[in-house]
Amino acid sequence: MKKFRTRIAAIAAVSFAATFAVAALPSQAADVTLKLVMAAYTDDMVDYYDGLAQDFENANPGIKVEVDVVAWPEIGQKVKTLIASGQSPDIVNNDEFAGEAAAGLLYRADQIVSAPVLKDIIPAFLDNSKYKGTAYAVPDLASARAFFWNKQLIAGAGVKAAPKTWDDMLAAAKAVKKKYPNVYPYCLPLGPEEAQMIFTTWGGGNGARLFDAKANKYTLNNKDFKASLDFLKKLVDEKLTQPNPGKTNRTDGCWALFAAGKVAMVDGGVFLPDWLSKNGGENIDWAAGAFPHAKGKSDITVGVQDYFKGYKANGRQAEIQKFLTFLFEPANYQGFLKAAGGFIPATKSAGKLAEEDAIIGPYVKLLPKAIFYPGTVGSWQACKTAIVTYMGNAMSNTGKALSSMQAKCDAAHKKTK
Amino acid sequence: MVAAPVKKEPFYKALPWLSGTLILIIGFVLWPTLELFLMSFRAVDISGLIEGWAGLENYRALIANIDLPPVLRRTVIWLVVVVGMTLALSLPLAQLMNAKFKGQKVLRYSIIIPWAASLVITATSFKWILDPYYGMMNLILKDLGIINEDVDLLGNPSTSFIVLLVVAIFVSLPFTSYVLLAGLQSIPGEVLEAAKVDGAGAWKGYWTIIFPLLRPAFLVAAVINAVYVFNSFPVIWVMTKGGPGYETDTSTTFAYKVAFGDQDIGQSASLAVGNFLVIFIFIMFFLKLSKWRESDQT
Repeated sequence: MKKFRTRIAAIAAVSFAATFAVAALPSQAADVTLKLVMAAYTDDMVDYYDGLAQDFENANPGIKVEVDVVAWPEIGQKVKTLIASGQSPDIVNNDEFAGEAAAGLLYRADQIVSAPVLKDIIPAFLDNSKYKGTAYAVPDLASARAFFWNKQLIAGAGVKAAPKTWDDMLAAAKAVKKKYPNVYPYCLPLGPEEAQMIFTTWGGGNGARLFDAKANKYTLNNKDFKASLDFLKKLVDEKLTQPNPGKTNRTDGCWALFAAGKVAMVDGGVFLPDWLSKNGGENIDWAAGAFPHAKGKSDITVGVQDYFKGYKANGRQAEIQKFLTFLFEPANYQGFLKAAGGFIPATKSAGKLAEEDAIIGPYVKLLPKAIFYPGTVGSWQACKTAIVTYMGNAMSNTGKALSSMQAKCDAAHKKTK
Repeated sequence: MVAAPVKKEPFYKALPWLSGTLILIIGFVLWPTLELFLMSFRAVDISGLIEGWAGLENYRALIANIDLPPVLRRTVIWLVVVVGMTLALSLPLAQLMNAKFKGQKVLRYSIIIPWAASLVITATSFKWILDPYYGMMNLILKDLGIINEDVDLLGNPSTSFIVLLVVAIFVSLPFTSYVLLAGLQSIPGEVLEAAKVDGAGAWKGYWTIIFPLLRPAFLVAAVINAVYVFNSFPVIWVMTKGGPGYETDTSTTFAYKVAFGDQDIGQSASLAVGNFLVIFIFIMFFLKLSKWRESDQT
């Protein structure tokens, strides 16, 4: 026992000393290190950034690049923690910018890429990167969403045409359930990964929008959103979905079930085919189309764009600009798109190539009709979290979920005004 | 026993020997606590940057938070049920571990193993066992014909909290039963002998002799458990992240969600101050208890 205790004391002493030794190491002179926190669109991103950083360091002696590739569910909080604890990164690639722009943390878009690159960005995407009229982020890519179905299951259940309206979809789901009792007709992902997408998509199909720019307020608690949630609840109550929507995530939940042939209909996006081919779903015979909408309303798609942002905290504006401009060089940017897997490019030059792509092409043309998140509103990120959280339990009481998220979003919006 | 008189040395001479501990206490306990209190009175913007003082604004926002009342109710249930059930189950477990029989060693090991495993590992294991598509539980229940459709206990708001309670009790048992076992072993054999001679049956002997003598250990186990359980973050976070919605949050996970989900660090700090005060009361109670014990023994 005594020996054991001594050993623990020794270990404690050594690790204590080690902590201080590391802290006391002199910092490397001259070399500037850029700290990057980048979203993991796919597992290929790590290899891509390793290669890119190497090339960049070779071309720019004196600048070192440290890349941290982080999974989507963690990245927002990771960045926030780094900033709050005084270890701000220099470049971040994720899905938010307005809150940080409002807080004055970000360089302007024209400070972080060269003028020719900025000119090449598709104007609609750049508009979505503006806070109070000034672009504070550079869009990295975009996606559009679509409704996917398993042709074999849908046709096998005797459904002739793709469901166009909610009623069509309900009928199709019932038919699938009857024919294939072990298949979930529709997979509803209300888990924390992307529940706000479900909310936006299905509400959108009933004419509801998240934010009223004129009145400068969120418009969540209204009858249009209520009707869309009630429709989804009906699917859940009639056991036409998987048993646990509140916990199911999009990717490892619904898409995995879709890839396994256990789900007939699912919310997907331009990048789903690529994901299926890499995750055991290459034999699924799928088709994609517009989301079913409420009777008398028009179909919509939801567009999502993500951002590159440069942070002022470490004063590395010149280096940030060098790196991002390097990333947007055509070959490097093609590599980025390839690693990310089947997204819509954010530049005009790459977009021209994508329009000819069999899978991506149709989405590029759809984009002008897309609804976007109110990403330019400073409180959007906090509001999004509220929507995601309440959607987790929305199927037990849709009205309460809506009034709760409206209250939380209003409170967050008041705070950033 | 009378100790030899010791020459009293001035306090500062002890400082070099105390310095390590003092630095740790100041750096890792006092300073963060002070920061926490300060943060709860500060205005923090949604990026986590401090904008100035906020007075009581954070506390006002916390009280106005529509999700707070159910979370507080649940926290009380969490505390009472987990601590209560843990103690109730640990008493017979400790008795069993104290009994001399062939498998005693095996029993003791098997009870302590869950304690040796990190909470995250235990919680992750349970999460996978209960997974609706790939978990063992559904497979077994289906094979036995008890259910014929996959169920997801963690995904259903009405059952997920119960599952969490069960897991929290499971992970609290080892520590508690070992504290009680130590208490049992400190009861001198003669006392029990004497009780037997005087004709006390097993049940009566337990309640009149053993349990009163066990009370100090029992109270210590109760208070330490209360602190652990109140602060319990990993079990809930790993298994449900407090979801669906806020349906399985306690004030600890809720404070985290307010800070990093709602991006309201000030409000979260004010809730954390409340949590701190609750723990503080437990600790005071614990210190008082250990003082009683000291005076009992002298």
